[in-house]
Amino acid sequence: MLKGIIAGLLAVALLSAPAFAADDATMRAAKKEGKITWYSSLTINIAQDICNRYNKKKTGIKCILHRDGSGKLYRRYLQERKGGIYVADVVHTSNLGHFLNLKAKKIITPYKPAGTDNFNEKFVTKDNYWTILRAGVLMPFYNTKKVSEKDAPKTYADFLDPKWKGKIIQSHPSYSGFVTNGMINIVNRFGWGYYEKLAKQKPKIVQSAAGSVPLIARGEALIGTGTTSYTLLKQMQKGEPLKPVIPPAGLALVTSPNSVFTKAPNPNAARVFTDYLFSQETMQLLADYFLYVGNPNVKYPKGLPALKDINLMAIGGDELKKKNKPTRAKFKKLFGV
Amino acid sequence: MTQDAQQLPGMISGGEPSATRKFDYTIIVWVVLFILLVILVANPIFQLFKESFFVSEDEAGGFTFQNYIDAFETDEYYKPMYITMMLAISVGSISLVVGAVMAWVVSRTDIPFPNLIRNGILASFVTPPFLGAIAWIFLAGQNEGWLNKWIRGLFGLSEEFYLFDIFTMKGVIFAMSLYTFPLVFIVVLAGLNNISSDVEDAANVAGGGTFHTMFSITLPLVAPSLFAGFILAALEAMILFGIPAVLSIPAGQHTMTTQLRAFMVSEDDLLGLASAYAMPMLVLAIGMVWTRGIVLGRRGYATVGGKGGQRRPQKLGVWRIPIFILCMIPLVCAIVLPGFALLTTSFMRNLGGGLVWANFTLWNYHFILTNDAVRVSIYNTILLAIMAATGATIVAAVSAFIAQRKLIKGHQYMGFMATAPIGIPGIVLAVGLFAAYTKQPFVLYGTLWIMFLAYLTKYLPLAYQTANAGLSSIHPELEESCRIMGANRLQVFKDVTVPLFKTAVIASWILVFMPSLRELSASVLLWTTNTKVISVVVVAFYEESLLGPISALGVLLLLITLVAIVAGFRLVGRDFMSSSG
Repeated sequence: MLKGIIAGLLAVALLSAPAFAADDATMRAAKKEGKITWYSSLTINIAQDICNRYNKKKTGIKCILHRDGSGKLYRRYLQERKGGIYVADVVHTSNLGHFLNLKAKKIITPYKPAGTDNFNEKFVTKDNYWTILRAGVLMPFYNTKKVSEKDAPKTYADFLDPKWKGKIIQSHPSYSGFVTNGMINIVNRFGWGYYEKLAKQKPKIVQSAAGSVPLIARGEALIGTGTTSYTLLKQMQKGEPLKPVIPPAGLALVTSPNSVFTKAPNPNAARVFTDYLFSQETMQLLADYFLYVGNPNVKYPKGLPALKDINLMAIGGDELKKKNKPTRAKFKKLFGV
Repeated sequence: MTQDAQQLPGMISGGEPSATRKFDYTIIVWVVLFILLVILVANPIFQLFKESFFVSEDEAGGFTFQNYIDAFETDEYYKPMYITMMLAISVGSISLVVGAVMAWVVSRTDIPFPNLIRNGILASFVTPPFLGAIAWIFLAGQNEGWLNKWIRGLFGLSEEFYLFDIFTMKGVIFAMSLYTFPLVFIVVLAGLNNISSDVEDAANVAGGGTFHTMFSITLPLVAPSLFAGFILAALEAMILFGIPAVLSIPAGQHTMTTQLRAFMVSEDDLLGLASAYAMPMLVLAIGMVWTRGIVLGRRGYATVGGKGGQRRPQKLGVWRIPIFILCMIPLVCAIVLPGFALLTTSFMRNLGGGLVWANFTLWNYHFILTNDAVRVSIYNTILLAIMAATGATIVAAVSAFIAQRKLIKGHQYMGFMATAPIGIPGIVLAVGLFAAYTKQPFVLYGTLWIMFLAYLTKYLPLAYQTANAGLSSIHPELEESCRIMGANRLQVFKDVTVPLFKTAVIASWILVFMPSLRELSASVLLWTTNTKVISVVVVAFYEESLLGPISALGVLLLLITLVAIVAGFRLVGRDFMSSSG
């Protein structure tokens, strides 16, 4: 009887083994695989920094970064899968809705990264299909050289002031999960009427959430309707003349999951690398880049507002999944591209 | 190449081989060419056509007309077509005027420094248009463009004032014209060089002034070249992806190429819709090439034939310097200003910091050289350009040789086959290749081979025309006289044909190599993690507005191109870029 129970427990342990942190055997197998390809929507300078740091460790596993917007990564993976091409091992984007689809089709597999036991509960999942790597908010902002604090927009409605016509940048939701997420939140709050009026302001359209920052830093446009908080705050730290707008209505919180693909060509390296992504070292690095992480032991840089001090707007993965497509279609109708 | 070609002289009809053996060789050559044409053109176009009638697999699959209805029913998708037509006509017309005037000035007048103008035009011809467009954001951005700031400073105008705004349709037309007028220049210059200046001299003698002669004598004679130049420029404007991707998307306006790409990278599987949407572009492009062929093929002008004899330049008189300055404007706009803008921006720490020493940094170069995408792309770009140039040149040289020396049955169709892809826009070809080679059993997607196929197909016509033109200047009489002197076929081929043909072969290699370095419109749909090329990395960086790193990458790409040109000049002399028709 006891034997039976032990055998049963062992079987359960073995079955669920892949869902737990990498052990020595995994490490040996990972070294044999030698590389891991990471499909990531994290802005290129941060994502590349993570890969470069990992590669400097000379673990015998090379991290290869493929950076693109959430939507494009999703399409690319499905397209490659259709052709029987498996390149990507680990995926990380800002569209939780996509991860629900991937989970439903068992395209991603459960894995619980090492060291995440004490993580903030909002960053981990019970079934371990994904773990939230980082969170940020979609922040409106302006150029401080060109716009005085007095004139700067204070609320979302201020962006509709005719004096900003042609001087606004809006990011495109088709490519950025961050922007899709933010738009759904704002539509929930203010209705589509807000974007109908915003379209009449003739904003310039850029294709990534972070893409508005360099253009506004240069002064080519004066105000941005929303960018990734971490890009904005990092550029401010570097000395660019920028400042966030924190409207009383709140800011959209975007949490970005990370998963291992079921058909990862380097399944062991994928797990070892995922452990690295959630290690104290990378968590601290992400925090230094002004991102919020699940690890409670990181030190956040000066200038990053604590999440509890921000009035947050948030939607669940199901809502994102449902409203994703209509939001993009409506955006195209309103803004032309 | 030589091995293939060395066997070919043995096939000259009337030679020693028996009838059966001759028959075998012919079959082999035809089968090889047929397979090549199927892989490169027929299959992708067939798959494109097929996909356009099918529901995407993500939905349900099955035959449908819905793709066509979706593609042409709504305003959103219809407007890019209208915009693209407008662009093609505007850019074609502007390029026609600028290119033709400059060709006339260089070919017929006593303008100072004609070689400077000629080389400047060739330099703008090889500058990647997407880099030019990005540089023009720094130059003519509405608020911070250097030219706008300069004008404000010069006249003490308010911050609100601006003369230029590059993020408009006018901006797109301007940027496109900068890089398409060289096409008109090259075609019209070739046309002008074929007209004897005797008739112009006669008009001068009869009392016609410089400009009168130009309008009433020269202009009508080069009319076919002008038309061909217009068509080429308009076609290029229609199929360009880089400039609209950089300038017109921010302006909230898709062109057909950017809309096509938007379908292809959409989260939803829109291959069917994209295929349907590509059809009008394909039909229009083929129609334009066909029209050009008809006009150029009409040899109704008796004076056009062979190179003219002595040429006396027309005197520009007091207009000499003003016209020279006018001719320099497009060149300054196409090369000097963008080059300067990219170079300086590549060394800027903060984009808002301006041109001061405190703002100097090498960070952008550090960034690109430690970036996975860039490192992979430099290697791939050079490898692909070498592969495409070598592949296209071999196919072109062999087919041109067969066609010119009438080596096999049906040799007269060689030219048609080698130039068949000429009407297929790069981005449409890429959708076709994507449809054809992303599914079993022929999965080439994810490898450099699919991009190699795209480049080969795209540039084969250019390589063929160059090789063919080079070969047609070698008279068979030369070879025959050597045969009479007692040399055998192999010796003739080795000692006469190959040395004479070499220049054309090298020219065609370089003419494929250079555009391959910056190919974008096909690559942008075919690249994958390990098969990135520099141009798509620039576009990917642009989508994140990494203006500093893009500038550094642009400088790098221009340097690689420059090395290729200098090597070209060294190897074949400075005529090599004007040898293409």
